[in-house]
Amino acid sequence: MTKESFLYVLKVIGLFLIISFVADKLVFYALNTVSDKVLTGQSMGKLNQYLKEKDELDFVIYGSSRANHNIDPAVMGENGYNMGMDGSKLAYAATLIKTLPLGKKQTILLHIDPQNFFSTYYEGKDIKVLKTKYNRNDIITSQIDALNQNNSLQNFYWTLNYNGMLLGILKNYFKPNYNYQNYSGFDPIYVSENQQEIFKKILEQNEIESCDKVLKSNEIYNKLLDEIVVFCEENNKSLFAFTSPVLNNKCKEDNELLLQILNKKGITYIDYSDVFATDSSFEYWKDKTHLSNIGAEQFTEIIKRDIDF
Amino acid sequence: MLFNSIEFSVFFLIVFILYWGINRNLKVQNILLLISSYIFYGWWDWRFLSLIILSSIIDFTAGAKIHAATHQKDRKAWLMVSLIANLGFLSIFKYYNFFVESFSDMMNLFGWQPNDLTLNIILPVGISFYTFQTLSYTLDIYRKEFEPTKSIISFFTYIAFFPQLVAGPIERAANLLPQIEKKRIFNKEWFNAGIVQILTGLFRKIVIADTLGIYVDSVYQNLEVHNSSTIALATFFYAFQIYYDFSGYSDIAIGTAKLLGFKFHQNFNLPYFSKSLTEFWRKWHMSLSFWLRDYLYISLGGNRKGIKITYRNLLLTMLLGGLWHGSSFNFIIWGGIHGVVLSIEKYLNSEKYMAKIRGFAPLGYVITFFVVLIAWIFFRAPSLESALYAVREIFAFDFNMPFIGDINVLVNSFLLLALGISFDLFLFKKKKALEHLGKTFKPLEIVLFSTVLVLIISLFYSTSNNFIYFQF
Repeated sequence: MTKESFLYVLKVIGLFLIISFVADKLVFYALNTVSDKVLTGQSMGKLNQYLKEKDELDFVIYGSSRANHNIDPAVMGENGYNMGMDGSKLAYAATLIKTLPLGKKQTILLHIDPQNFFSTYYEGKDIKVLKTKYNRNDIITSQIDALNQNNSLQNFYWTLNYNGMLLGILKNYFKPNYNYQNYSGFDPIYVSENQQEIFKKILEQNEIESCDKVLKSNEIYNKLLDEIVVFCEENNKSLFAFTSPVLNNKCKEDNELLLQILNKKGITYIDYSDVFATDSSFEYWKDKTHLSNIGAEQFTEIIKRDIDF
Repeated sequence: MLFNSIEFSVFFLIVFILYWGINRNLKVQNILLLISSYIFYGWWDWRFLSLIILSSIIDFTAGAKIHAATHQKDRKAWLMVSLIANLGFLSIFKYYNFFVESFSDMMNLFGWQPNDLTLNIILPVGISFYTFQTLSYTLDIYRKEFEPTKSIISFFTYIAFFPQLVAGPIERAANLLPQIEKKRIFNKEWFNAGIVQILTGLFRKIVIADTLGIYVDSVYQNLEVHNSSTIALATFFYAFQIYYDFSGYSDIAIGTAKLLGFKFHQNFNLPYFSKSLTEFWRKWHMSLSFWLRDYLYISLGGNRKGIKITYRNLLLTMLLGGLWHGSSFNFIIWGGIHGVVLSIEKYLNSEKYMAKIRGFAPLGYVITFFVVLIAWIFFRAPSLESALYAVREIFAFDFNMPFIGDINVLVNSFLLLALGISFDLFLFKKKKALEHLGKTFKPLEIVLFSTVLVLIISLFYSTSNNFIYFQF
């Protein structure tokens, strides 16, 4: 390679690094400005609304879609919020719990899926949903770093934090789906006829479910739960863990072992897996682990009866 | 090591600096290429390196012996050594279990249950690609179209050259070996074109293909529960997923080679803009289709032995082309569909029907795409039963509301697909090949083009899956 060619390569690479770095920051700050104003939608708005209102709440529900679609906080009390999120697990919930105001009396309902608790693969990747607040919220930043879920490229290209979210943010910025002031985080599932047909076909397939024989609790789950317990004890929070209903739950060993482990940790745990085992209507379900709006209505009443706020 | 991984970026940066740093010594430069190619391949499974090395030794020897032999019998014998060894490896690793299971199933029909003879074999990555590449070397020498190289390093580098080792393009020795044996000169135009092609390939793969793949996988994993519109939509997405996945891989491979001063042949040329299936196969996975044409179709007699033999040859070539992709009846049927439609086109052409219906040329695009789409069902479906179910279901015309799944994924899929198709349409209208797009760019244009692509990738990339063609 001649000196001229070498300088050419250096020039192109150098210019690219500078211009792409600057452009990335411009886009990133523009997205911050826009996204901070978004208070509707699952990807961004719900998180913003939670961070805005969390200090005033009396109780909060955390967990995955099985928390989000199954419990209506408006039925349970006046000042609650359902912070359940599709695909999220304990890292996401634990981080958000730690953002709650110190010392204020609040009740936490935490959904735990035994399958995740005993998963050998769980690494806390669900925390990445919070990456839009990386370097902008100290608690979220420290948790992402603690779980080692920030890749090195993200330090250079900050727009990576908005990966997969742009369209949702823009949509909710220009045309919000709903009035967030009337939204309590609960997203009921209204099952269409098509979805019912799909679910019927799945049930007809009658697949054999295999249960894990070796149950070993996930280290990250264990650590995060311990941290939540300490946080709750130190900050006047009442913690209840629960598992949502499952249609025809064949694997019960994990639920039983989870109960023992959580009791040892001093966590009140209620297993609702089989709550509709005897009194179950097809209309209650969207699929084997998610309730329809009708099922959610029933389940909310049950959980309200059991947990006294 | 995947092209779309951080490891590859670091690996390539080191190779690039060392490679051009030792530009004065061709032999040392080729040794560097060979070592880095083996590291690249060994990253998956170093044990299979032995297979590549063995294959290289056999073909290097066979090539020299074929060339040196004075009697036709000896030439043929050495060609057979090369064919048996290479196809033998391929058969054992790729097809053994398929043939044993098929034989066992057939025997079951007659009430005989043979013992389980299947083996627990891992398919070495890229074996189908480098086998065809190395075979072209001995076949070209046998046909006296190419003289063997005397340099074992050059030959080994030709077989293992990392940009094209695991999923092509299948480069013929006639194109690549002379480039390996000649001093490479850094070329700004190639550098520009290479950067543009690599980034476009990354965009095609990790932005478009991987996003489309989420919907496709969710439907094809459980075909039996979905209606016509859902399966049709998933198949439509799959047509573009596989196109952007594989053409994206080829773009990265060709672009990477360009940065090292090598010129590969084009592997995809906007194949969905084809008026006939014959044209489609001139634009889709060109290195494989030309390989099959030159070494299989023509060897079988091509179209020189009458129309019936031509149909037979076409069908046989496409069936074997299907089987090359994988050891299942789905791939054979996929090849069969293409073979039959190619034969029909041949018939219509020979009868000059095409001239009469030339006014309906735009219809050709639609019909070709429809045939390709139906054939893709067999390519993607996990089993023959589910493929047949999907075809039945589509033609049941139960076009109710399709399955939505994650609305974000669906919206992103449509948007990114529109972006990808618009870019392809731009190339098609301007009659430009992506390979040449960046050549005339000034440094600032290259930088701006790259910046826009990097921002799009950053905002829209999807969880990266393996390249689809790695399984072949």
